[in-house]
Amino acid sequence: MSHQLPILLFLLPFIGGVALPLVTAKNRALAQPLTLLIMGLLVVLAAINLSVVLSTGSIHYALGGWAAPIGIAWLDDPLAAVVVLTISGVSLLSLLYGRLVVPSKLRQSTPYYTLILLMLSGLVGIVFAADLFNIFVFLELAALPAYALVGIGGGKALVYAYRYLLLSSFGATLYLLGVGHLYAATGTLNMADLAQRLPSLMTSTAVVGGLSFLFLGLAIKMALLPLHTWLPDAYEKAPSSVAPLLASTITKVAIVAWVRIEYSLITPGVEVSHVPVLVFLEDLGIIAAILGGALALIQTDIKRMFAYGGIGHIGLILIGASLGNSTAFAGAMFYLINDAVMQAALFMLAGALVHYYRAHTLDQLRQASTRSAWLSSVLIIVAISMVGLPPTGGFFGKWNIILGALQEQHYLAAFAVVASTLLTLAYFVKVFAAWFHQPSGHTARAAVVPPSLGFSMGSAAAAMILLGLFSDPVFQFLLASTGA
Amino acid sequence: MLELIQTWAQRPNFIVFVILFLWGVYIMAVHPNLVKKLIGLYIVQTSAVFFLVAFSAKDGATVPVLDAKSAAQAAIDVGAYANPLPHVLTVTAIVVQVATLGVSLALVTGIYRRFGSLDEQEVLEQPE
Repeated sequence: MSHQLPILLFLLPFIGGVALPLVTAKNRALAQPLTLLIMGLLVVLAAINLSVVLSTGSIHYALGGWAAPIGIAWLDDPLAAVVVLTISGVSLLSLLYGRLVVPSKLRQSTPYYTLILLMLSGLVGIVFAADLFNIFVFLELAALPAYALVGIGGGKALVYAYRYLLLSSFGATLYLLGVGHLYAATGTLNMADLAQRLPSLMTSTAVVGGLSFLFLGLAIKMALLPLHTWLPDAYEKAPSSVAPLLASTITKVAIVAWVRIEYSLITPGVEVSHVPVLVFLEDLGIIAAILGGALALIQTDIKRMFAYGGIGHIGLILIGASLGNSTAFAGAMFYLINDAVMQAALFMLAGALVHYYRAHTLDQLRQASTRSAWLSSVLIIVAISMVGLPPTGGFFGKWNIILGALQEQHYLAAFAVVASTLLTLAYFVKVFAAWFHQPSGHTARAAVVPPSLGFSMGSAAAAMILLGLFSDPVFQFLLASTGA
Repeated sequence: MLELIQTWAQRPNFIVFVILFLWGVYIMAVHPNLVKKLIGLYIVQTSAVFFLVAFSAKDGATVPVLDAKSAAQAAIDVGAYANPLPHVLTVTAIVVQVATLGVSLALVTGIYRRFGSLDEQEVLEQPE
């Protein structure tokens, strides 16, 4: 039974999403509790999956019983198991949180929940897929509901959802071209087979072009800096109940897909016309990390600020994954898990500020009166984690990336991590200045944080601290998984 | 230079692919009309499909189905059968494109109903 876990993890949200409109046709009020139930089950399954993978090793799943060279292969390795658990956990928290801030016309809307479940199934598929074309299909399966979720609130969000669609579909087409090139050059799409055949073909222009297309396509999906333009608008205009879900999953999963390709196909020391590929990727990460932080600093809109912060973090993860050093790689993966939780918590916070204070910008936040203790404490914990101070998880991710960079003597990368930390600190100082500013004159009613909101934001904050406290076992486990 | 042109001329399929691709990107980048952008995207996607079909074409190849008689023969001439995999990729990619097209048309319809215009600038200048 346990070797069927990967497909169960995919089928549960997929069948749930497809069946939801049928089941709730008569009684629309059922949609929300059913979705919560499915997501809860998914978290439990993902936890079981992780424990199985930890105790018995990676699961190689052959879809339909066809073995790897002919059939489609899925790989359920420790990294995939951890990422799936993270995704399902933050999705459950986002949905719990979304119960409150969701616009009333969406609360009873079956399509809304169907889209969330279908997107989740696509994300699970991307993480497990060990076949280049399979990743393409799941990228689109996850992206199509995401476009719809961005635009589901109507108004200007439709235009930004449309822009997101154009850019992201263009990225998917580039990815498909890359798949075509690699297939033409090697005759296989299975990542394990490719890893064997590629090293001898690295001088072929088809292989280099194919890998570049793959990277460009995924770079649009992961919002790597010069290709990030769809992200801030889309996350700013998306409904507050959806933004945490999108921010914490879509870009992270795209980078997981790239890390898998990079880790199995591009060995350290590979050069294309005398440019070392990994160093080039690392430099792209450095640019994204520093510019992302700088762009976040000049924003006045809170959601946009957090969105740019997330773009900077993608750069950090790419730096760590491209140093070719197992400490930095495990640090980057640990940071990725943290970042998923942090982005969810940040956008929950931003959504709560809009919901209770109508505060979209820092100036509006300054005008708002009466701070809620819950929101303040969550803000402080998220800020500590974003800046990267112990005991939160953010610290240990960044620390290991810096350690790896120093081991490899890539001082620019180490500097970029520190610089991005300082920039993060700078923009959180701006948020703090607005939040703890004492409004003069009138006092408005205190915002009471309802239990479900408090629970979801509290658990996100607790997850960050727990990730920090238990960083050592998680990190050692990620480190061990890279050595395999 | 002449050699380069000669090598290109031997691969007319790929020249068509490059022209289609760049044409689509140009339309997506230049036209302010949202539906025209969509047409540009569709041309780009079609060029990718065209590329997949172009490199998998074989002269005189037949359907890759082995009957019992030919399968029993020891040697199977690979050149006599078309490679099914790129065609399967193509069909899947087309299905994905159709789904994307559906979602994008739904969004365009929503934008037109809400703002009464398809011009990107006009739509963005309107109040929320």
